[in-house]
Amino acid sequence: MAKYLIRRFVELVVTIFLIATATFFLLEAVPGDPLSERADKLPVQSREALYARYGLDKPVMERYLLTMGRMCKGDFGESFVYAGQTVGGLVRDRLPVSARLGLQQMILGVSVGLLLGILAAMKRGTIADYMVVGFSVLLISIPHLIFGLMLQKIFAGTLHWFPTIGWPAGKDLWFGGWEATVLPTLTGCFSYIAMYARLLKTSMLDVINQDYVLTAESKGLSKGTIIRKHILRNSFIPVMTQLPMSVGMCITGSFFIESIYSIPGIGQYYVTAVNNQDLSIVLGETVLLSILYVVILFLTDILYVAVDPRIALPGSK
Amino acid sequence: MSEKNYILEVKNLRVSYHTYAGEVKAVRGVSFELATGDALAIVGESGCGKSVTAKSIMGLIKAPQGEIKEDSEILYNGENILNYDKKQWQAYKGGECAIVFQDALASLNPTMRVGKQIMENLMVHKHMTKQEAAAEAVEMLRLVGIPEPEKRVKQYPHQFSGGMRQRVMIAIAFACDPKLLICDEPTTALDVTIQGQILDIIKDLQKKNNTSVIMITHDLGVVANVAKEIAVMYSGMIVERGLCEDIFYHPRHPYTWALIQSVPRLDLKNKQELSSIPGTPPDLLNPPVGCPFCTRCQYCMEICKEEMPERTDFGNGHTAACWLHHPMAPKVAMPELKGGAV
Repeated sequence: MAKYLIRRFVELVVTIFLIATATFFLLEAVPGDPLSERADKLPVQSREALYARYGLDKPVMERYLLTMGRMCKGDFGESFVYAGQTVGGLVRDRLPVSARLGLQQMILGVSVGLLLGILAAMKRGTIADYMVVGFSVLLISIPHLIFGLMLQKIFAGTLHWFPTIGWPAGKDLWFGGWEATVLPTLTGCFSYIAMYARLLKTSMLDVINQDYVLTAESKGLSKGTIIRKHILRNSFIPVMTQLPMSVGMCITGSFFIESIYSIPGIGQYYVTAVNNQDLSIVLGETVLLSILYVVILFLTDILYVAVDPRIALPGSK
Repeated sequence: MSEKNYILEVKNLRVSYHTYAGEVKAVRGVSFELATGDALAIVGESGCGKSVTAKSIMGLIKAPQGEIKEDSEILYNGENILNYDKKQWQAYKGGECAIVFQDALASLNPTMRVGKQIMENLMVHKHMTKQEAAAEAVEMLRLVGIPEPEKRVKQYPHQFSGGMRQRVMIAIAFACDPKLLICDEPTTALDVTIQGQILDIIKDLQKKNNTSVIMITHDLGVVANVAKEIAVMYSGMIVERGLCEDIFYHPRHPYTWALIQSVPRLDLKNKQELSSIPGTPPDLLNPPVGCPFCTRCQYCMEICKEEMPERTDFGNGHTAACWLHHPMAPKVAMPELKGGAV
């Protein structure tokens, strides 16, 4: 077990290193640099001073080594575009906002999706099944952007049920100001509903035809017991492959939603940073999010073992 | 056969499966009786409707694909189980009637501990508490001959060998002392030595509890070991039935002759080929109007292709459905067995 953990940790470090390197050189390969817009109007001397301040006067390889060295110490540097803005500050101010939005979407979307999936599988071939499937295809085909604007127009614009834009801040950051979070959460949760309803339905239909379900039926168990104890647990294995991706997505994937509802989240900032070639911010966020992904993937592997006893971690008996 | 106490009477059972290709008539009018405490073997090749018959008796035919036709009757202790309501079904399944499937690995839930799979039964039908059921599960595993049952109940099916898994299935089936046990090819997936052990366990438990058994198999060796009566099924019908001795020593139907001849035997002379039945069973999407075996039968006559033969009674419960036994038919005897008598 210890050996396995050590191996996973080494893999994690190598993965992060490769991601950071690739990100750095990809951004370097883009023509122009983050300072040119600000520097163009300045006199030559000031321009050189500005470049020197951010270390952009040095050759690429030297900057690469310096950046990587600082990153190892946990210092991702200052934003090239907004003076004084650091990755640490961003994570502190913006990550919680995105995390709450993402988690709310995911919890609502995954639970409703799984319930609809069970419904569709159990009522297979009936109106309920067709409705769930049709609804899912519809939801998966419509982009967030359109949904968000539609909900905003109807429920905030016409009906005035919810605020048009904004997000709870301060002491309401995690548990409060719910009315502002309703529309963004709804906008985002639809894709989860569609994905998980279809995933669980397919998986359950597969399990329902297994012989052990027939055995369970031949024991005279009630339908509810058969679904809960024999079908669901075995159907969750494919669902669990999808979950870590969703957790990752839920932190970073709300770019459009954050734009539509003016939510000061990290998704919006991330995309802006890429557009601005804000190297230190992009690199910092990329590395932090990769760490998140890799850790979640590791947790999933452990979760597999808990759900399916046939899977064992290497080194355990 | 004289008036007996039948635990199970199947009357004109007809089961169809609705597929994209059309209606597959898997079972086409099967009737038989099973006396309390007796063992009946249903023999036939793959796809002849054996398992569908078993599933019908167990109430496992699922709508909308599967359909038991309206005038079919399955009487359990005189009561038609096809008219059962939900509650009666739940009490019947597992409590009165239990089934052992062929593939024990596929038939056990891979993510549930073996002990728990036995306990489920006990808690539903015998209303035991968790602790009582857990203790009983250990006892059941001991009864079917699994060593170290205290340790084994906490394991998962993939940690058992094939024979051990089938023992677990038997433990599950016998947990609630069913009156009727259906074994759907219980030994097909096992090697020969284990087959013998499994059959012995089933026989022992049958005697101990006076359980009536329906043994479904395509292996005549298994039949000789366990059953008192045999029903030979072909293409969704019972073509011949009777006591074991009658079927083995005086078979009357050409299909039974062919079946007996295709059993591998130790006393065959060197290099003598195993005999097989040429051709394939008829397509049950469009079952033939006449005798279903006529295309493969070397004694086939004109009438066989046109009309289904009546049953001929040879006494002692031995019947066969074949035109050869019509008074006007030519007299044909069973061909000599290659290499000697059975």
